[in-house]
Amino acid sequence: MIAKIVCYALIGLEGVPVEVETDVNRGVPSYDMVGLPDAAVKESKERVRSALKNSGLLFPMNRITINFAPADIKKEGASFDLAVAVSLLKASEQLVGVNVGKTVFLGELALNGDLRPIAGLLPILISAKGHGFSRFIIPADNAKEARFMGDAEIYPARSLAEVVAHLNGTRPIEPLETLSYIPGSRTRGSADLKFVKGQPMARRALEIAVAGGHNLLMIGPPGTGKTMLARCMPTIMPDLSFEEALEITKIHSVAGILGAEGIVYERPFRTPHHTATTVAMCGGGNKIVHPGEISLAHGGVLFLDELPEYKRSTLEALRQPLEDGVISVSRAGGTVTFPARFMLCASMNPCPCGNYGSSERTCTCTPAEIRRYRKKVSGPLLDRIDLQVEVDDIDYDDLTAGGEQECSEAVKERVNGARRIQAVRFENYGINTNAEMGERELSEFCELSRDGDDILRSAFERMHLSARARARIIKVARTIADLDMSEEILPKHVFEAVSYRIYDKIG
Amino acid sequence: MGYTQDERACIWLCCCTKASIHERLVLLHAAPSPAALLDHPEHYFPQAGVPYTEDDAARMAEAEGYIASLERKGYFAVTVISDDYPDPLRHISLPPLILFGKGNRALLGMRKFCIVGSRTTPPWAAKLATHFAEELSERFAIVTGLAEGGDSAAISGALPGGNVISVLPCGLDECYPASHASLKEQIAARGLLLSELMPQEKTRKYTFHARNRLLAGLSEGVLIVSAAIRSGALITANCALEFGRDVFAFPHNVGSTHGEGCNELIKKGAYVATCTEDIFSFYGMRRSEHRPIDLTGQEMKVLGILRDGGELHAAVIAERAGMSAYEAAAILSALELKGVATKSGGNKYSAF
Repeated sequence: MIAKIVCYALIGLEGVPVEVETDVNRGVPSYDMVGLPDAAVKESKERVRSALKNSGLLFPMNRITINFAPADIKKEGASFDLAVAVSLLKASEQLVGVNVGKTVFLGELALNGDLRPIAGLLPILISAKGHGFSRFIIPADNAKEARFMGDAEIYPARSLAEVVAHLNGTRPIEPLETLSYIPGSRTRGSADLKFVKGQPMARRALEIAVAGGHNLLMIGPPGTGKTMLARCMPTIMPDLSFEEALEITKIHSVAGILGAEGIVYERPFRTPHHTATTVAMCGGGNKIVHPGEISLAHGGVLFLDELPEYKRSTLEALRQPLEDGVISVSRAGGTVTFPARFMLCASMNPCPCGNYGSSERTCTCTPAEIRRYRKKVSGPLLDRIDLQVEVDDIDYDDLTAGGEQECSEAVKERVNGARRIQAVRFENYGINTNAEMGERELSEFCELSRDGDDILRSAFERMHLSARARARIIKVARTIADLDMSEEILPKHVFEAVSYRIYDKIG
Repeated sequence: MGYTQDERACIWLCCCTKASIHERLVLLHAAPSPAALLDHPEHYFPQAGVPYTEDDAARMAEAEGYIASLERKGYFAVTVISDDYPDPLRHISLPPLILFGKGNRALLGMRKFCIVGSRTTPPWAAKLATHFAEELSERFAIVTGLAEGGDSAAISGALPGGNVISVLPCGLDECYPASHASLKEQIAARGLLLSELMPQEKTRKYTFHARNRLLAGLSEGVLIVSAAIRSGALITANCALEFGRDVFAFPHNVGSTHGEGCNELIKKGAYVATCTEDIFSFYGMRRSEHRPIDLTGQEMKVLGILRDGGELHAAVIAERAGMSAYEAAAILSALELKGVATKSGGNKYSAF
């Protein structure tokens, strides 16, 4: 008899339906798998055999053929175990009169018949729903991840025995209750701007960066709190909407880094070390393609500490995703596209010894060393970083007379205000923030008054700014005006925008 | 430009014979005129024991050939007997018999003032040097080197007006530091490059020292922008003292390593320069009319705070002015654009 059971394979963030067809024939006992299964899938033979036996079920001593269809997709991982087991039961007539045609079975089996969680459950559920499936049996350990799926019957099972009892109707499993997502209902406890002492300029730059979606570069001596400032960035970003949260959860689910919450509530903050390879950063892998750090930072912040220490090729690889918000990774097995819309926050020392420009300590670097250090960050990458701010090396607590620092919540209010203005402005333009403006939007929304234009002209002459810097300054001035709730870009906004640049070009 | 027979002879002596600098001097003194050396070397050269080309026609061809090779590269040669040989140079020890130049030769006739600083010049001093060079170049040709730091700062101030003379520590074909190749081209186009070395010669340890002697020798006065206790800028200052030139220096913070040399000079009697007026009035000049700067009320207030407080952090300025840090940042960058304040490292500002 032939049985057909549906389960899912993952390609990138997309689930692809796979039918497990099992034929149990009379003949010399054998057990074959066809349809491009990889080693982990083939090993399911032994897991299924033991799991059936240890769940009090019968492993048929017949000629068994299992086919995975469509045959042209490479099947990987252990998530097919449950489907193989159920199809075997069905084909060997141990599940009579049970209709499993419209049910998707997902899960890895332990030898004793327990169900183990799988990676990438959420993207599979979302894809399967799109394909018209509405009934799922999943490992109980994955239940939290599935709770946010509405309009679906999802049965979390602990073991194969439970699945069989449920299918037979002897002990039905309660379908999972759906939870609704409440934005901002969980907040990160550790980081908050109120813990950052001093640094008025850097705080302001952080606020502008988040308000306009601008990438940020912080320059300052070691140990001045650059990392701490960066960690506060997600706390002042707008709350995740359900769609955003679901998209981020999908990526994290595929990468297997989803927390106990089952869905991502907070914007991710990723800090890859500077030894990270291009593949680790952008995604890749041998056969199955994994998301890289930039995709894991999707919707949040990618923080690159000590920017010049990163490999040049790794940094250059960021340029295209910074522009497009997606990354396409091509491998022999096919091309996968992951979302990668993140805010880049980078930090670096002003020179190799870290003391350039400091009044307290003496810089021991030669100009050539400093130039070499700064040259490691290419111009095209710097062109994508709108804001450059210096982080102070001195404790200003005494000078600015203590007092409570403003907390993230208050800053977030202002950021949300500026974001709302931008949402209205760009409603029909397919972009969300000022940072994404192109030439067309610049000329439409960022007209400068005569005064503003004069300021920019004199800035060009005095500071030897590049032509590309012009657009950057105007975009930042637009965001500053938005934070100020001003329709027009006033001279003071332009002046402030001009002050966010690297103070001194060497050589 | 044509050369006189004497100049030709001088170029031939310096560039086509194997005479050392001392032998050249002996030869020049022995002959009634340099031209006589080229015409009748057999009278003078054997006394000095220097070999020479005996064929008359070949000697002339050597001299002409060398001049043609200079002209092909756009260089000119100023010899010690040329009319426009800078006079002050005649009074230094071992004046160069020949100088090679590229660019605006007329600058040699201007009054000259030297601005130099070490390569690790702090940003505020570099900005100030640029400002000084810009204003002084209205009356003087600014003499400096081609290094990074203080020299580059002076060049960037004087280059737009074109009154800049850069003396190289290597031949005109070479460029040191190599990264300043484009800057060197700009100076050749708008100002003047000078070197006493053969065009193809590279830098050696001693060429820097020799170059510094020319910097001081060419100029009426020398301004030291920044100098550590051991630095090339101090060598220039010492040469200047030796040749009787006026020495000016920027005062630096006590204990700052990049400024110790300057403070030491001041201690020993160098003039303190804090504004261009200090130098103009020393030479009995008056600065040309200044463009009035138009400042708003708040800008005046912040500028006042800066003038009182010296170098201040933006947060401190904001607090003293009673405004938020970002408002102050906007006003400070306005002041900077209007050319009355400057930003140095670590979000600190100072007024000119």
